[in-house]
Amino acid sequence: MEVDIQSLETFNQLAYEGSQQATAMLAQMTGIQADVEVTKITLMDRDDIGEELAGQSFVGIGFDLEGALVGDTTLVFEEACTGPIVEALPGGAAGDELVESSVEEIGNIMMSGFIDGWADFLGATIEHSPPQYIEATGADVLPDADDPNEQVFVFKSHIEWPGEDLHFYIYMLPAYDRLTELMADSGTGDDAVPVDKLSMFNEMTKEGTATAAANVTQMTGIETDAEVTQISFAPVEDVPKQVDNKAYVGTAVEFSGTPSGYLMILFDEESAMNVAEALMPMEPDGEGFTDMHESAIEEMGNIMTSGFIDGWANVLETSVDHTPPRVVHDMGRAIIDPLAAQVGQHQEHAFIIESHMQTDDLEFGCEIHALPDDAELRQALDDLDVARKDETEPDVERIFE
Amino acid sequence: MSEVLIADDSEFMRNLLREILEEDHQIVGEVENGVEAVEVYKEQRPDLVMMDIVMPIRDGIEATDEIKNGDPEATVIMCTSVGQEEKMKEAVKAGADGYITKPFQKPSVIEAIEDAVGA
Amino acid sequence: MKVYDSSTGTASSPEQERVKVGIAEYEVTTSDETLTTSGLGSCLGVALYDDAAGVAGLVHVMLPSADGVEDPNAAKYADTGIETLLLEMERAGADRDRIRAKVAGGSDMLDFSENGSGIGVRNMQQVEATLDDLGVPLVSDDVGGDHGRSLRLDGASGDLMVKSANKGSKTI
Repeated sequence: MEVDIQSLETFNQLAYEGSQQATAMLAQMTGIQADVEVTKITLMDRDDIGEELAGQSFVGIGFDLEGALVGDTTLVFEEACTGPIVEALPGGAAGDELVESSVEEIGNIMMSGFIDGWADFLGATIEHSPPQYIEATGADVLPDADDPNEQVFVFKSHIEWPGEDLHFYIYMLPAYDRLTELMADSGTGDDAVPVDKLSMFNEMTKEGTATAAANVTQMTGIETDAEVTQISFAPVEDVPKQVDNKAYVGTAVEFSGTPSGYLMILFDEESAMNVAEALMPMEPDGEGFTDMHESAIEEMGNIMTSGFIDGWANVLETSVDHTPPRVVHDMGRAIIDPLAAQVGQHQEHAFIIESHMQTDDLEFGCEIHALPDDAELRQALDDLDVARKDETEPDVERIFE
Repeated sequence: MSEVLIADDSEFMRNLLREILEEDHQIVGEVENGVEAVEVYKEQRPDLVMMDIVMPIRDGIEATDEIKNGDPEATVIMCTSVGQEEKMKEAVKAGADGYITKPFQKPSVIEAIEDAVGA
Repeated sequence: MKVYDSSTGTASSPEQERVKVGIAEYEVTTSDETLTTSGLGSCLGVALYDDAAGVAGLVHVMLPSADGVEDPNAAKYADTGIETLLLEMERAGADRDRIRAKVAGGSDMLDFSENGSGIGVRNMQQVEATLDDLGVPLVSDDVGGDHGRSLRLDGASGDLMVKSANKGSKTI
């Protein structure tokens, strides 16, 4: 099945406009002016969806979609949102027993707003089930997976209510086969990406993430877990929104070959400190984040970068070079924006290859973001030989006999 | 005891290699790019070069190629984070005598050196 | 059949004091609100204000010029972003002859271009050229360097506070 870039753009735009429409419905009912921060379409393991929600309490309103589009959609509100939303309703400040039904009704109306645009675009109807009210922590607010290891597309919108610093989210999880058929049908056939190979590329990247994580463990003794790898598609101006604006320390490189692009390895400040000190053979001179810390992070970034991209090169039987790493210590979005801008000189939308890893015991979190040139990524997918997809390791025996 | 030249753009990595090597070997120089590696090699003629691949100005494979062209007896061990088969082939073609991938453990470095220059 | 909806009856929104301007977006205020934008790397924040009319605006642009781009998002580019912001401000009561500009951002961090003319620099060149074409004086700027910035424009005074991750903050 081939899906062209144009239909990825179109479907991402439908999800964005649907989210705006849903948010406008909320504004009409409650006067709450929220903004759709970002909408992206992501291909990832079904089981990893909602991983970014971990640890927080949510109220979800779930719907089944039937008709032209089949699947599940959930409106996910931070628990703290529901009080102000209900109060803002005409005749608000309802008793507790009315909260649930009020939120359900708001969800119902928002959902109609969300899917109308899709139905119009597809020239068909989409039915949604009555709302199901769910209170849960983390990803449990989303529907259970039938097949946790299956790779699926998910449309995620992040909506912010600036006055209150509250957030809510829309997750649409369409049935994979139906969605890819729709996308294939709506395309023009130009610049097509073979969808199955995109999944395969994701698998290769997952190996790369595992290698980078193993590098961390070998070098620092820090055991990482909860690794997540995904590939997203978004307008280039939304790319910086993939990263939090808190301070990060990390490295950036330009890589060249098939594909070429930019890659960042980012640690939050505390994790960077922990990693650097675990690497250093001796106590650092001086206080805080010293030059020695920086040099340790530089080398960590260098090794993780190779660990991450070598698998692509080995499967594709090519080489992917990268520049020496440049160390950065700055606001997250300021780090990624020059790279998004460089990619944005040639393309309106970008694929974002993204991995996260963290640990439970020690403060350690690391994000890897790669921005490939999309024409070259398509070339890489074309070149991808299905039979070689597991050959991420070099055949050392054969080279150094 | 062999004379060793370390070529790596990372100060951190040079320190680490020095720690591992200085017990049994004499470090005759530490350089940060392929151009300096070739220059210092020509001056010092060390027994062994520990050569990173990804370095600014000139990469380690090109530097190895030039060192080996000037002195076929030279011993160069690549010491790099790059684990790509095509790169390894390029390194072999340039004449590399060994290939250590980072992150490494001390025993693998010592073993690679023993294999390349003899104990 | 006429469809009745509530789109004409939108409830009034609570007053917001701080308005966030996202990347490739702009906002105009006529009520002395504070406009903020964050995480500028090679991007530029262009602030325009007309003291007398009490109109201020901020646009967060990413690339120099929309030339040759089909159906561009105007606020993504320096040239079309400034033009659009200026028109919106005039519509809100600002007078072009009184509008002044302040600019911040355009860092050359992580510029991998080989020829030394990175996007941050080219963004600033385009901003200067566009302001010049429109006859809007650039009264102060804080651009370049190798660090990111976040901005806060005081709609009442036109003061632009520039904050960086490691280099403190200043008002221009």
